[in-house]
Amino acid sequence: MQKLEFLLRRLGASIFVLIGVSVITFFIARVVPANPAALYIGPKARAEDIERVTKQLGLDKPLPVQYAVYMQELLRGDLGTSISTKRPITEELAGRIPATLELLFSGMFIAVLIGVPLGVVSARWQGRPIDVGVRVLSIVGVSMPAFFLGLIFQIIFFRNLGILPLAGRVDGDLRFSDPLTVITNFILLDSILTGNWVTLKDAFLHLILPSLTLAAYPIGLIARMTRAAMLEVFGQDYIRTARAYGVRQYVVVYLYALKNAISPTLTVIGLTFAFALTGTFFVEILFNWPGLGLFTVRSLLNLDYPAIMGMTLFGASGYVIINLFVDLLQAWVDPRVSLN
Amino acid sequence: MNRKLFVLSLLLVFSLILAACGSPAPAATDAPEVPAATDAPAATEAPAATEAPAAGPVVLKYASSANITTWDPIASFSTEAAYMANMYEQLLRVNAPGSAELFTPLLAESWEKSEDGLVWTFHLREGVKFHDGEPMNAEAVKKSIEAAKDHAGASFIWLPLDTVEATDELTVVFTLKWAQPLELIVGSEYAAYIVSPKALDAAAADENYWSAGVEAGTGPYMLESYTADQEIVLTQNPEYWGGWEEGQYEKVLVTIVPEATTRQQLLEGGEVDLVTSVPADAFATFEANSDYTTSLEPALFNYTAFFNTLKAPLDDPKVRQALSYAIPYEDIIAIGANGRGTQSRGPVPAGVFPYSDDVPQYNYDIEKAKSLLAEAGHEGGGFSLKLTYASENSTEETFAPLIKDSFAQIGVDVTIEALEFTQQWELAKTDPATAQDIFLLLYWPTYSDAGADNMWSMFYGNPENPGNLNATKFNLSYWMNEDYNALVDEAGGLSGTDLDASLAKYTEAQTLLVDQAPAAFLFDTMVAFVIPNRVEGFKYNLNYPDVRFWFYDLRPAK
Repeated sequence: MQKLEFLLRRLGASIFVLIGVSVITFFIARVVPANPAALYIGPKARAEDIERVTKQLGLDKPLPVQYAVYMQELLRGDLGTSISTKRPITEELAGRIPATLELLFSGMFIAVLIGVPLGVVSARWQGRPIDVGVRVLSIVGVSMPAFFLGLIFQIIFFRNLGILPLAGRVDGDLRFSDPLTVITNFILLDSILTGNWVTLKDAFLHLILPSLTLAAYPIGLIARMTRAAMLEVFGQDYIRTARAYGVRQYVVVYLYALKNAISPTLTVIGLTFAFALTGTFFVEILFNWPGLGLFTVRSLLNLDYPAIMGMTLFGASGYVIINLFVDLLQAWVDPRVSLN
Repeated sequence: MNRKLFVLSLLLVFSLILAACGSPAPAATDAPEVPAATDAPAATEAPAATEAPAAGPVVLKYASSANITTWDPIASFSTEAAYMANMYEQLLRVNAPGSAELFTPLLAESWEKSEDGLVWTFHLREGVKFHDGEPMNAEAVKKSIEAAKDHAGASFIWLPLDTVEATDELTVVFTLKWAQPLELIVGSEYAAYIVSPKALDAAAADENYWSAGVEAGTGPYMLESYTADQEIVLTQNPEYWGGWEEGQYEKVLVTIVPEATTRQQLLEGGEVDLVTSVPADAFATFEANSDYTTSLEPALFNYTAFFNTLKAPLDDPKVRQALSYAIPYEDIIAIGANGRGTQSRGPVPAGVFPYSDDVPQYNYDIEKAKSLLAEAGHEGGGFSLKLTYASENSTEETFAPLIKDSFAQIGVDVTIEALEFTQQWELAKTDPATAQDIFLLLYWPTYSDAGADNMWSMFYGNPENPGNLNATKFNLSYWMNEDYNALVDEAGGLSGTDLDASLAKYTEAQTLLVDQAPAAFLFDTMVAFVIPNRVEGFKYNLNYPDVRFWFYDLRPAK
């Protein structure tokens, strides 16, 4: 009951956050001294063509009116038309979200799977060579630029060893030999659903390098957060008590200590995830991954304001939802956290 | 102790990484000389990858940087020409400079013009069908041209057109308002495709008709599928009027790869057969590798530095000449363009009408610049200028400081300002009195007539108000010279009937232009091609810069 009330209250508040974001983005995108109509029509337009497009896009009306029109369309689920690709933004997003999520889930999965145990091991054997090793690894992970790390992976695994594909989501040849029926546009899911095992294997191989590249930064962050939190917990009385009672080492570490140390790590995971929704363009460009990051950068460079608006709103919603989810998770993990 | 271990391991990790990055470079240069070297697995795997689909269709795999900004063949005015040109056709194609014939007939088999160059009659090829089954006839041509004149991205190329009429099933008559070399317009890269009338009607009724990715041309390839920003698949049009031979590519699989390094690796790994381009610094590696044919070809793009002739001291031709002598042309090409360029002769890029070797050039001569400045009453310089360039153009970003350094030597102080092109353009348009002093611009003629385009668009003066750019679009010098205007008018008029006489007049106009120096003509760009030996039949045509490859001409090597 308390949780439901909390959920509703937070969802209500987030609507105001999103409205605020939309107002700010809309006006910032539009005070830039560039004419969207001129951008829409291309480099060598005639004055009368620009005028025609200005009318067609509704740019001749005052800004607040344009904003109202935009919001009205938004409530109907229409995000407008991209200036550079001239396709509906909803279509542009729908085609890219699965690609980004597929990469993001596998990247974060790897990050948690590797990062948390590393942090625990490092704290457990504090000061030993293994701790030094983990700390070096996390510094490298956090400080190494993704595009650089990705390039190194490509050079080693594609060019020198020739065991992993270079870029893209799936090998182009497969469309002729084993065409995939698109259902959800999550390639892994679609190939399982349709029993297309050749594509599944190929898509999986394509995912490895970009996921690892994407995971490098969160691995470092998660390992460091987990290590710090674990060390703090190890100093607590109840751990000493548990140990004094002769509770087995792994039970102390994984059940009592980790459960209490996990909450800052959860926050970090949530924030990294939300950031990666639109912020992974280096990885996407390098691996030619047709996701949101690539689209966001291109929209920004082209001053494609409907696309910028769509991306910002999507990103903001992502943040709001993920934060909400993390808060609920915190309360579930740690009953002392109050939802009020 | 602990800290030392930590620092040591960090160092170790980074040196390992550096070692990993360092090794492929020698491996790559070694490859051509020692094919059976240590990196043999990668080398042997490469051809295997392309042979894999032997049982399936013969596929050309192309990693392209070119995006689709629209599927509307009328509106198209951008990079999608790379694919459009393989699906749509014009009445004719303008051949590469130096070809035996000036034009290749496509949908028109022959054509003739009236004595005064105002009435042009085109005889169409018989029995050609659009991909949607509609017949290609005079009515279809009329409809496409009228649509292009009305609402193409580049509809201004049809300004000289008065009417286009279908006189019978296969004859189209164009009537012009003033004489123009119409072949160049109907052969334009943009706004000249002949499109199925059925599709044009559908597009008129539904503005999103094209956006899903449909086409309705007559060309050798048809669109099979399109995934936005990712992939384009083309397939043979079995009824193509030009016919098919054994060995031509049955399908073309285009992967859109914006990152040049990724394209390079795909090409080297044998994952693709063609790429738009490789990073400039990787070109030398391919040059040294006998598995690839490389070439640097002249492109019809050029860089111009416009002087603001409405502001002192640039209103004095002597000052502008002095500055033209103070520009380090060779350094700009070597550093700004990685050596891929040639110094321009006036606004017309080499290889395009009305380029002429007789147009003079300024050379880099600081002493001459100093003495000219002194003659103009600016001994030792002593004034400052604001230069703007488009921040998204990395070439301009690289060479703008060279101009600044060089001008400093003659006592002219330059402030460089990087602006988004649209903002640079807004600033130039609002008020010449407060605008930039020097405007760097990358320009190209929309179709292969740089007389009607470059010479007119960039320098034809507006007699009523030279500062108003709306009439003469790209006159960013705000320059107005009646003699020049008259020469360009005369040359343009002659171009419809007598190209040689027109060229002579245009040359006269360019000579005057270079002497008056409202702008400094920096360089014509070059484009680099890397073609692996497994693909044959590549021919370059500078008239179609966005097309790059005609898939119909290409064959897999035997």
